[in-house]
Amino acid sequence: MKRNHLPFYFIAGLLFIAPTLLLLVQSFTAPWRFQRGEGLQFQLNSWSLLFSDPNLWSATLWSLVIGAMVLLMNVFIGLTSGKALALYSFQGRTIVESLLLAPILIPVLAVAMGLHLFMIRVGLADTWVGVVLIHLVPTVPYSIKIFHHAYSEVGRPLMEQSQMLGASVIKQFLTIELPLLRTSIRSVTFLTIVISLSQYAITAIIGGGQVITLPMIFFPFLDTANASVMAAFSVWFAILPLVMYIVVEGLLQLLPYSRKPWRIQT
Amino acid sequence: MRLFRNKPWFLLLPALLFLILPSYGLATAILESIRGTDGFTGEHYETLFASDRFTASFLFSVRTALIASVLSLAAGVLLTRTFSGYLEKNIPRLSVWLPMVFPHLVWGYIMILLFAETGLFSQLLVSLGWIESSNEFPIWTRDSNGIGIILTYIWKEIPFVILMLFPVYSAIPRSYYDLVETLGGSRWDQFKTVEWPRILPVLLEVFLIIFAFTLTAYEVPALLGTTFPEMVSVLSYQWFYSGSFEDRPLAFAAMTGTSFLIMLGALAAYLYLNRKRMRAMRGRL
Repeated sequence: MKRNHLPFYFIAGLLFIAPTLLLLVQSFTAPWRFQRGEGLQFQLNSWSLLFSDPNLWSATLWSLVIGAMVLLMNVFIGLTSGKALALYSFQGRTIVESLLLAPILIPVLAVAMGLHLFMIRVGLADTWVGVVLIHLVPTVPYSIKIFHHAYSEVGRPLMEQSQMLGASVIKQFLTIELPLLRTSIRSVTFLTIVISLSQYAITAIIGGGQVITLPMIFFPFLDTANASVMAAFSVWFAILPLVMYIVVEGLLQLLPYSRKPWRIQT
Repeated sequence: MRLFRNKPWFLLLPALLFLILPSYGLATAILESIRGTDGFTGEHYETLFASDRFTASFLFSVRTALIASVLSLAAGVLLTRTFSGYLEKNIPRLSVWLPMVFPHLVWGYIMILLFAETGLFSQLLVSLGWIESSNEFPIWTRDSNGIGIILTYIWKEIPFVILMLFPVYSAIPRSYYDLVETLGGSRWDQFKTVEWPRILPVLLEVFLIIFAFTLTAYEVPALLGTTFPEMVSVLSYQWFYSGSFEDRPLAFAAMTGTSFLIMLGALAAYLYLNRKRMRAMRGRL
């Protein structure tokens, strides 16, 4: 039986790939004026304008620093609680589980407004540490969910096996858990960095306009820059998760039992 | 032995510490919304519900969020069940999830590029001669009906819906469909008896997540909304930063009220699913 593949590629192309292409093409061409019969005019000015803005580079750096810290804390909290929820049975487990997922539904804007005074009191308002903390709220529940699922897949018998063979906790973690959780770490990397890069309002509230991340300069850019520069800026937003992904992928290569891409597979 | 019994709680410690952030934040927001000059008061809520600006904004937000989440769910289900075979393969799956690499505000900007009065579609229609000038193009961004906001959210959430539904669909055995067919069931019967009971819990969860997010997110409405009616998040943000101290409790009250609405929805969904499960256990589905 031969299936017609056209509908899928048409719909996927239209809905999911075309918008990305649109941004890419617009970033390399002058603002479009098709109604005047003009065609596409190639240019690189938008990119050089974007990169010549010193604010862009400091905002990119801060976004990366904050994103990396948010990711680290997500992995730590997600790994520990995911393991507890998946491999142990204890009283109140279902309650803890729903409590840990509940922050997905609570408006993060309300949380940020509520925490603002507290952050001022403890001296974390207007600092990047405060911003990292508030970015945890919309990300951690997802990480817990992902790692919980992953640890359920690994299952208890495998852990018991290594314990019976006398592996230490650290050895078990490095040689069994981490290599098997590789896919989940990738998903968490993508999710956390993209969510962290999306936050304008809560970064503005807790960062108080002192911590400048990429979304903070997106709105001011919108008023001054033309469509080509904005498109280049938009593409830049997608490059950061990719950079982070490559870094994490490199770190994962250090784990035992990793397939090294430079080795010939048989 | 004691240590072993406490081990899960030990492992949960970081997550429980994290929980302090959202619970303290929400508690403070609720407290600030009922704090008067001396003691507790309900006056902020009275002012809030008496203000036309808030009621218009609240109704507009609920309507916009409902439309966006229902439509993105419907489209997501349709796409997942039609194309679940493709999603098993790597490249088609990655292409579907491509929009998730972009933040919501970038997706909002794509809407401006496409649907603004001088956007791509308007330009193409003019050059094709279908409309005289770009003035005739309907206003779909920064419009008072929230069309731009709804379009952005639907388009952006479809991949998320697919991501959540795909594992459910790939776990349904083919033979269940065949069974319905052998017994003379239609394609609708297949959907109703095989798919619906399995996807319902996930659908409700995804609906709540998307509804809660679209109802209270700031970035997209700030980019694509108008000044009246505005989404409740934009209004609260303005009140929070207005500089006058009378407006700040209103921001807290608006956000607290919205949170309660979401909590009610979550509770209703939970009770509904629980009742269904109890009935199924007693064998009366």
